[in-house]
Parts: sequence; C-alpha cells; structure tokens
Amino acid sequence: MSFTLTTPSGFWNPLLWLVFLALFGIIAYLIYSQGNPSYKKDTEQIKPYLSGNPEPTKEKIQVKAGDIYWGFIEALKGYYKVLQAIHTGDMRDYILWYLGVGAIITFILIGGV
Amino acid sequence: MGKLTNFKRSLWVFHASGGSCNACDIEIVAVLTPRYDAERFGIKLVGSPRHADVLLVTGAIPRDFADKLRRIYEQMPDPKAVVVIGNCGTTGGVFYDSYNIAGPIDEVIPVDVYVPGCPPRPEAIIDGIVKAWLKIEKLEKELEGKKE
Ligand code: SF4
Repeated sequence: MSFTLTTPSGFWNPLLWLVFLALFGIIAYLIYSQGNPSYKKDTEQIKPYLSGNPEPTKEKIQVKAGDIYWGFIEALKGYYKVLQAIHTGDMRDYILWYLGVGAIITFILIGGV
Repeated sequence: MGKLTNFKRSLWVFHASGGSCNACDIEIVAVLTPRYDAERFGIKLVGSPRHADVLLVTGAIPRDFADKLRRIYEQMPDPKAVVVIGNCGTTGGVFYDSYNIAGPIDEVIPVDVYVPGCPPRPEAIIDGIVKAWLKIEKLEKELEGKKE
C-alpha cells in the first residue's frame, strides 16, 4: 500500500511529513537547549529596555489613527473646543443650525440691504 | 591575578551614567580608543543591559535615577557584575550627603568592584573590568554547579 499522493505539482506523503516534523523538532530543541538557563521569567529580564524607564501599557504606546492629526488639532485647539461643545451628534440640532444660519443669511440679503 | 578559565565569551559591558560630571565617562571611552583598545580583547560597550555581562556605573545617582538604575540592573542576564567608576559612585564624592542623591551606588544596587579616582585612569578601569571578569567566572561556575 502506497502512502504517496501524486499531484501534477508534486507529491504528498504523510510518513515523510512526520519524519521531517520530528527532525525539525529535534533541531528546535537543540537551539532551545543552548539558551541561557539562568534566565528568569516574570522579572525585568523579559521586558524591553527603555533607558531604564518602566514599560508603558500597550494602549499608551499604540499609535492611533487619530494621532496622525495631533499637530493639526493641537494648533487649532481653541477652534475645536468650541466646535466640539456644539457637536452633539443629533441630526435635529444640525437642521436647527442649518435653518438658523440660513435665516440669518436670508435676513442679511433681504432685510439688511 | 587569577587565570581566566571558564567564562569563554567576549565580555560585553553596558555603561549607565547617573549624574556624573562626564569626566569618568570620557575615561571609559578612552579605554576603547586606539591607545588602550580594550575591544581587541572582545571587551566592548553594548547598547542594552540585556546584552551585557558587566554594568559600569558612573555618577552619584540622583534620586530620580535610582529606580531606573535598579531596572537596568535587573534586566541584565546572569551571571553579571557591577563596576563603579569614580569617587562619585563609590562614596558620593563631592556630592556626599547632598539632598537629592540616592547614592553611593551600593545603596541602590549590589556592587562587585570599585574603581576610585576623580576620574580614574583608563588603566584602573581596565583593571576593574578584569576583576569583574574573574567575579563572573566564579558566578558562572556556581551556576554550572547548580545545573549539574
Ligand atoms: S568621580 Fe569625579 S570625574 Fe567622576 S563623575 Fe564624579 S566628579 Fe566627575
């Protein structure tokens, strides 16, 4: 009984696959056994070196999409503060703003002249 | 001087400077320049304590540097040795008893070798590192003994 499955692009033999798996396992173990045995888990030894500073949480060091606009938002802080205060997320408020500003423009165009 | 027998790798050194006037640090650099050229023996400065066998510390260690120095020491793999370069780190030097000083260094981390001087000569620094090398050999033998 043959275990080999031949296909147009090559062949597949599970026994050969097992032999290679064992071989790579042995090589991996040999590399692992050469490691420093005095290495201590759960100490500072496993943490990255940041000039002696403590490692910040992942959330703190992650660059968020919003960070791309940081300089822009920082420079226009005064403007954004006002805008964010009136930005409620309620569509009815925006329609009211639209009508209000529209009324003012209309008043200037018609009544103001 | 004892025989170097067990520690077969090159000795890699990390330098942490806490509040030194920079003169000790310049002498450490002098050890690496062509006149003394410690690198020909494989003794070289590395950029991370995680790669280092020896920690060289200079300066009197200001309070806000003490926890950083402790962290740097803990990040070094075993076996490791600490060498203090200069009077500032050895005793506090001219900063002795200053309000903002956490040192001398042996009050922050354990120290194996003291190299006094203000600043010490490069020959003295090399001698200190060789002493640290002997200490590391001893520690390595102990570690191997534990493994067996
Ligand atoms: S021991 Fe002297 S040379 Fe070294 S850092 Fe202190 S003051 Fe400077």
